Amino acid sequence: MMFQLDVLIENLFGILKVVPQTLLLAVIILILSLFMGGCLALIQRKKIPIISSLISVMQSFLRGTPNVVLLYLGYYTLPYIVQYIVSLVGIDFNPHHLHPVITVIVVFSISFSVFQSETIRGSMHSVDHGQIEAAHSLGYSFFQTLRKVVVPQALVEALPDIMNSFLVIIKVLSLAYLISVVDIFGQAKLLGAYNFSYIEAFVAAALVYWALCSFLTLLINKFELRLRKGF
Amino acid sequence: MLSLKNLEISFNNEQVLKGINLTVNKGDVVTLIGPSGTGKTTLLRCINYLEKPDNGEILLGDIHLDYTSIRKKDILKIRRKTAMVFQQYNLFKHRTVIENVMEAQIVVQKKSKEAAYKKSMDELEKVGLLDKIDAYPSQLSGGQQQRVSIARALAVEPEVILFDEPTSALDPELVGEVLKVIENVAKSGMTIVLVTHEMSFAQNISTKVVFMDKGNIVEEGTPTEIFYQSSNDRTREFLNQFYTEKNSI
Ligand SMILES: Nc1ncnc2c1ncn2[C@@H]1O[C@H](COP(=O)(O)OP(=O)(O)O)[C@@H](O)[C@H]1O
Ligand SMILES: [Mg+2]
Repeated sequence: MMFQLDVLIENLFGILKVVPQTLLLAVIILILSLFMGGCLALIQRKKIPIISSLISVMQSFLRGTPNVVLLYLGYYTLPYIVQYIVSLVGIDFNPHHLHPVITVIVVFSISFSVFQSETIRGSMHSVDHGQIEAAHSLGYSFFQTLRKVVVPQALVEALPDIMNSFLVIIKVLSLAYLISVVDIFGQAKLLGAYNFSYIEAFVAAALVYWALCSFLTLLINKFELRLRKGF
Repeated sequence: MLSLKNLEISFNNEQVLKGINLTVNKGDVVTLIGPSGTGKTTLLRCINYLEKPDNGEILLGDIHLDYTSIRKKDILKIRRKTAMVFQQYNLFKHRTVIENVMEAQIVVQKKSKEAAYKKSMDELEKVGLLDKIDAYPSQLSGGQQQRVSIARALAVEPEVILFDEPTSALDPELVGEVLKVIENVAKSGMTIVLVTHEMSFAQNISTKVVFMDKGNIVEEGTPTEIFYQSSNDRTREFLNQFYTEKNSI
């Protein structure tokens, strides 16, 4: 069996075609998971009784369960959950019509929100309490303090972890192929099967992942430097 | 102007302030002195509502509140009439000097950027930092940071400004510049409550000196009355100890 360079290049172009949709999916999951993670962190910071303990249980479940399992679990249950919820408002919904992309987004957003909440909690903790008190003493409300003092500094602190989670999300999306959502890995697998050239296809996939992650790391480092200017 | 009645607060079942009554008139410079751990910081923090008193009342300008039945919007009202200068400066590290002074005016007082900028420049001129407006706090000395934090407090035009040992964290050679600024604030007619261990400074600028011990106000009077004419054993013991310690350094 020969390694064929032309096939590799052909596969590279084939894979590049799905990079935008993979990135878009990853960005959506990142944003949703950050939003949910932020809410979780706030709830836990405020120590709201029952809800806080419920969240702890949920977090330990999500942390202890592999993403593959969560994905299959979502794949087989989410359509029926959606059907049930929609039926409450009197709409008929065929569970087989739920696009698996939705499942991917929902499952991974929830799964990653746990990690994000810990990142966010840690970074909010890193903002020294004196500054928060200074804001309070000047009459800032809870949300003004959050927006003007805590978040800008926590964001810089959390940025490396958030970036890291983005790269992890991109890589985890390779599981989406299992429920027929095509990302970089899925595309490589399809191209490999099509040309009987699995080695070239997976080398191409690896190269694309690598280039993508390097590029994103570079971008974020630049951005972080700009945010950090001075302090 | 500011009046506290029977203010009490406990931490972990230990009463730290045991019924404080204090009146501060407009333009007064009231200095709190006393051994450490006595509750001076806690008292300032209660006035600013950074701590929630268990009991008591506060009269502040046109506000009159009972701490047992206080509401969220009352807290913001109190805080918007008071400003605190902390021992550790507590500047916003991600903001430049000018941004530190402007922000509360824009966020809390809803002033326009232009108005906030102008006011900030005025205040920064008073503390002698016009050449540092674009610096970040980390690029400043402790004395400069404390002067910025004073400008930040003045910029929101509080009715009372609270200083908690504003020079205690500073290297000795930087104390003078900050005391000078505080003195100017006092001369401008601002109402001040100050905690300090700088006794000669307290003597010079105070209209009233309050001696606290173990959560109580033991004695209050003019600087002369407290520093030279006190007949109270605890006051004299504290002052004697203080001067002996100071001379032995
Ligand atoms: N947030 C708090 N929790 C528990 N104890 C506190 C707290 N703040 C102050 N205290 C206690 O209250 C007492 C008075 O402290 P403080 O007001 O800082 O005294 P001072 O400023 O006169 O040195 C001390 O015994 C201190 O340990
Ligand atoms: Mg103190």
